[in-house]
Amino acid sequence: MNSSAGAPDLICELDSVQGIVDALTSVRWKRHQDAVVELSEHGMVIIVEETSCVQAKVYLQRELFVKYDYGAQGRPRFGVSLGLFVDCLNTFSFPGRSTILEIRYPGPDMQLMLRAVDSPDACIYAEIRTRIPETISWDYNFEPAGSTPLTFTVKSAALKEAIDDLEWPGSSIQIKLQPVPPSVIFRGEGHGDLQIDFNSYANTDLLIAFTCDRPISHRYKYKFLRATTSNIPSSVIKDNRGSKLTIGRGGMLKVQHLVSVAKPTVPHTHVDSAGYQQPSRIAYIEFFVKPEVEEEDTADDS
Amino acid sequence: MKFKAFLTDNGISLLEKRILPALDKMGKICHLYLTRDHAVFLHNLLNSDGVQSIAQFSQQSLFQDYRISSQNDDRIAFSIDLTLLHRALRSILTVQDFNHHRLQIKLVKKLPPHSTQPTPFLTFEAKGYKSAVVHDVPISKPLSRADLQELQLSLQNAQEMPATLVKAPELTSLQNFVDRMKHVGEVMGVSISKYGDLHLKISTSLIALGAEFRKLMVLGERADPVAEDRDLSAQTRNERAVQRGDAMTVDVSVKHFFKSLQCSLAKPDCAFYGIAQHGACLIVIFQFFIPGTRQTDKSISLHCRLPVLDPGSN
Repeated sequence: MNSSAGAPDLICELDSVQGIVDALTSVRWKRHQDAVVELSEHGMVIIVEETSCVQAKVYLQRELFVKYDYGAQGRPRFGVSLGLFVDCLNTFSFPGRSTILEIRYPGPDMQLMLRAVDSPDACIYAEIRTRIPETISWDYNFEPAGSTPLTFTVKSAALKEAIDDLEWPGSSIQIKLQPVPPSVIFRGEGHGDLQIDFNSYANTDLLIAFTCDRPISHRYKYKFLRATTSNIPSSVIKDNRGSKLTIGRGGMLKVQHLVSVAKPTVPHTHVDSAGYQQPSRIAYIEFFVKPEVEEEDTADDS
Repeated sequence: MKFKAFLTDNGISLLEKRILPALDKMGKICHLYLTRDHAVFLHNLLNSDGVQSIAQFSQQSLFQDYRISSQNDDRIAFSIDLTLLHRALRSILTVQDFNHHRLQIKLVKKLPPHSTQPTPFLTFEAKGYKSAVVHDVPISKPLSRADLQELQLSLQNAQEMPATLVKAPELTSLQNFVDRMKHVGEVMGVSISKYGDLHLKISTSLIALGAEFRKLMVLGERADPVAEDRDLSAQTRNERAVQRGDAMTVDVSVKHFFKSLQCSLAKPDCAFYGIAQHGACLIVIFQFFIPGTRQTDKSISLHCRLPVLDPGSN
């Protein structure tokens, strides 16, 4: 029913619900999280944050949708419970079957409307209540720390493993980048010490890229560092992807993952689909983690 | 009070591979009610909360040389732990030399070790040339005459058929769907219309999530769908059908609904949903065909009754 006046801000269609579920799950680090969804002509951005510690963004570009009709002025935003959104999307994802899911915003009562028509005689629908969004803090603005970016790309699986291993030493993890010898060091101190080194020469298969022109080191709270990898979808590990970590001005850590949003490969019966190769479709995930305030060496990188 | 029979090969595989795994999901403990003609597994019939499930078999579908006698019109009922029953059956199958010997099942009273009180058991016995395997499954004391009467009465009441039954969509995908739906809320509204619509909906203050299945096969009272409703949303269409008196809606626990779907482990050929008179409960009837045919196998019947939640309580 289109009882709301005028055309909706957005009507879009998805053919890979599971990919979107994966992408959104990767920023779901605790049970109850509020997300802000921002719509634009370029796609959809889902933003989640933990007050002044960590912020995550999922970019679903319009190329990921089979249809994307954007009719709004400006950039409409609404708040939604992330958990509910993911659980709800998950109901639309059937293993081994591809369903087209239509997402529409707003509904008559500002809801987010979802609908999948499986066959002419079966229909699954959902209406999720949205909220007026909380303001997103803008202090996650990421700025490069200098003229040369301080960045490295590491296999997502190795990154996750390293961060998982750092659980026992304690609550604070130091990340150190040094040009000579080119390496990344994760160090946890607490109940005991644990240091994990990624050496650019020795671990070329793990540390895929590395740029750093001066030593830098910052500490991050373990629990927020962990949030960046705790729910990495299995498809990322399976696809053997890399995650990019960059340290910006003030020690702000940016972690980027790529999540595949490919349509599930179902054997087609259509002749015309034979030979059609689906272009790789990726959702971008970004985490911004603020460093712990350090007394002695805050001026390390300025 | 005596009960003795041999399990047929068909009966063994039916119980071991299909019925017991399904019933085990309904609850660990159930009543086994044996009469001259039937063996019935009953869940939650004497306490009204929880999903009631009734699996009835003609004695010929499970047994040979079936002998039963009791002072209570040859009826015996007791409660039994399905996990133990299943385990006993499985373990005896692994050691039994099938080609030669049959599996006997009987009711016995034995003196368990370190006890002076004889206790009742359901005993499985397989005798081979060189060995014999005996498995004793502990059971409750047989139900008293009064309790058995009550059980019989509940069983009769549970046979009431809804006026309209609609054929459920494919069970595995329905189960898959409800399994995911469980995360969103706890109460599910189930609507069944005479047009052949089944509408499932979870609705909370934050979300409404539903599925509508249309043009399902209808048994019993039916009506033609109203043409003007065709282009309405699923929810509105359903509301209108309820107002017109062509559909009924009840609220049940999502957990119960999911549980009843686990009966698909018994590999029924199809299932039907219906709402009892006055919306007393939601009924799901599983249908089994005679192998290789499309004819209902009348020797097996399995159905569940889901308690309806009081709309005030949620």
